[in-house]
Amino acid sequence: MARIELSNIQKKWGAFWGVRDVNIDIADEEFIVFLGPSGCGKTTTMRMIAGLENPSEGEIRMDGEVMNDIDARDRDVAMVFQGYALYPNMSIYENIRFPLRMRGVPKAEQDAAVRRAAELVELTDYLDRKPGALSGGQRQRAALARAIVRQPQVFLMDEPLSNLDAKLRQAMRVQIKHIQRELKITTVYVTHDQIEAMTLADRIVIMQSGAIQQIGTPDEIYNDPANTFVASFIGAPPMNLIEGRLSGGTFEAPGIRVEGLPGAHDGQVTLGVRPEDCRVTAEGAHLGGDVYGVEPTGDVTYLTLKVGESLVEVKADRAYRAALGQGESVRFDPDRIYLFETGSGQRLR
Amino acid sequence: MAAKRKKSRGENLVLRYLILCGWALFCVVPVLWFLSIGLRPRTEIITPTPIYFPTFSLDAWHMIWEDWPMGKYLRNSVAAIFGSVIIDLILAIPAAYSLSRFQYRGREDIGFYILSTRMMAPAIVAVPIFFLFRNLGLLDTIWALMLIYAAINLSFVTWIIRSYMLDIPKELEDAAKTDGAGELRILWEIIIPAILPGIITASVIAMIFAINEFLFTLLIASTPNAYTMSVALANFTGGSDGIIYNAIALVAFLAFLPVFVVVVAIQKHLSRGLTMGAVKG
Ligand SMILES: Nc1ncnc2c1ncn2[C@@H]1O[C@H](COP(=O)(O)OP(=O)(O)OP(=O)(O)O)[C@@H](O)[C@H]1O
Ligand SMILES: [Mg+2]
Repeated sequence: MARIELSNIQKKWGAFWGVRDVNIDIADEEFIVFLGPSGCGKTTTMRMIAGLENPSEGEIRMDGEVMNDIDARDRDVAMVFQGYALYPNMSIYENIRFPLRMRGVPKAEQDAAVRRAAELVELTDYLDRKPGALSGGQRQRAALARAIVRQPQVFLMDEPLSNLDAKLRQAMRVQIKHIQRELKITTVYVTHDQIEAMTLADRIVIMQSGAIQQIGTPDEIYNDPANTFVASFIGAPPMNLIEGRLSGGTFEAPGIRVEGLPGAHDGQVTLGVRPEDCRVTAEGAHLGGDVYGVEPTGDVTYLTLKVGESLVEVKADRAYRAALGQGESVRFDPDRIYLFETGSGQRLR
Repeated sequence: MAAKRKKSRGENLVLRYLILCGWALFCVVPVLWFLSIGLRPRTEIITPTPIYFPTFSLDAWHMIWEDWPMGKYLRNSVAAIFGSVIIDLILAIPAAYSLSRFQYRGREDIGFYILSTRMMAPAIVAVPIFFLFRNLGLLDTIWALMLIYAAINLSFVTWIIRSYMLDIPKELEDAAKTDGAGELRILWEIIIPAILPGIITASVIAMIFAINEFLFTLLIASTPNAYTMSVALANFTGGSDGIIYNAIALVAFLAFLPVFVVVVAIQKHLSRGLTMGAVKG
């Protein structure tokens, strides 16, 4: 229920940049997911939105109002902390009720709200326990319940499902998305899990070393990566990146030859192609190599080929099997080949 | 192989118990010795020949209660000690909170200054303190004792509580802030309950110091009006009766008993607290 604008946000500790030059305009009711490797500044950015950390430079606005000097308690955000931060001396019930108490929610409504939140995260049977007597996943769900128990302007969720098993994670994911859509609460969400990012996000923000690499819808990020970092960060297994030479629209590297590429970028380039855009076939093949590994997963079979000095990952048919060292050829989907500048990693279009 | 290891572990256990029993004896014998002195007639205490079957006597017991206002001394002790601990906690908890949480210039120096007040030999300030309390008109009152005990213990009570507060993850307070709690509420509802073991530890140590305090008590308390147990002991050394050993032993035992009971009762918190405080701060 709030628009959040971050403009030119920097966070420095001494000479170390935790976050640099972050510009995001988060629309009202939007679900934004931060994705990036450990230490890239996701938590720091979130803490600045919450008011727990002051940006060294830049402005944070909510609904147009500058928030830099507004105290955390006056910002009306609810946050799930990466380390849970449950109050150790209070029962789970009291933990979940705490924000309601602090925000002056009438007593009569508190109990129902706590029980509803506990039910959503499947913790109804544990309300009397202290956090110390819960498992890691249960604590995490308690932290989630404490955030969703009220209806703030903004939800901030820092890896709220990281400690749950696959089944529970899927269930909680659905709950979070449902609550967010139903209550129309602007949400910033941090995760390491791509599936979570792709399924939950209206837009994904990819960060690296404190800087934003790309902002876009899940489709844009997947189909139209801005650089090699984004390309290899999204998608599992990651996109194949092969260095070679481009001349006159023909890409060549040991064991690989692709014709018909845009000819404007002659010279040393990196070609990218996703494993799912490769097909094992001799007909019109772009690549020839030796089988290095075969990994059946039931659904699909991942095939690794040794091509020249590098390994190329291919998503093959589920019935595909091959002996190690066997020769194999692969064709790329010609519409889904990406070219990147070799040094900077920037996309060539 | 397995049998051998088992046997050696068994021997180990016996050895361990032997050592522990030895240590326990070492600690408890002086206390029992004291008690036995306190419960024997005076004539038996100072003989040069050992007595294997001592006579039991409540002479000293009757004497300390009937000839001396021991009840009043006891009440004085309890009032001065508890009062001082309460003063300490009221001052130390906010001070420690500030020292452990807020960023301001000179914070570390202030913290160290507080600790350093403990490093001075108390005798140095004895005379100024005497005049101070005389001018305040508080000589010979338990209020003065309360203040003095509080002043003596304040530094390390603050320091222990501070080290406990440093152990509390910052995220906990951040969570409380985003949940809408103010500083005082965070202190009262989150911090204090979380460091209760530390508060208990610090209080008990402060009590022990206060019970044993002698120098300032003697200085301030000139009549039985403000005598405490520790100073009362001195009563039995002068006078026409000479040194009354069995009374001294009994009073010392009575002064020791409540501390002992308290320490045993909260032992769990205390041992955890001491190690926790020891690692940090
Ligand atoms: N208080 C601080 N002082 C100095 N450096 C800090 C501080 N807090 C964070 N950093 C640094 O800032 C960088 C970003 O930290 P942040 O916690 O935002 O990472 P993150 O993206 O959340 O990582 P993760 O996925 O591991 O949680 C890290 O390199 C971290 O070491
Ligand atoms: Mg983080």
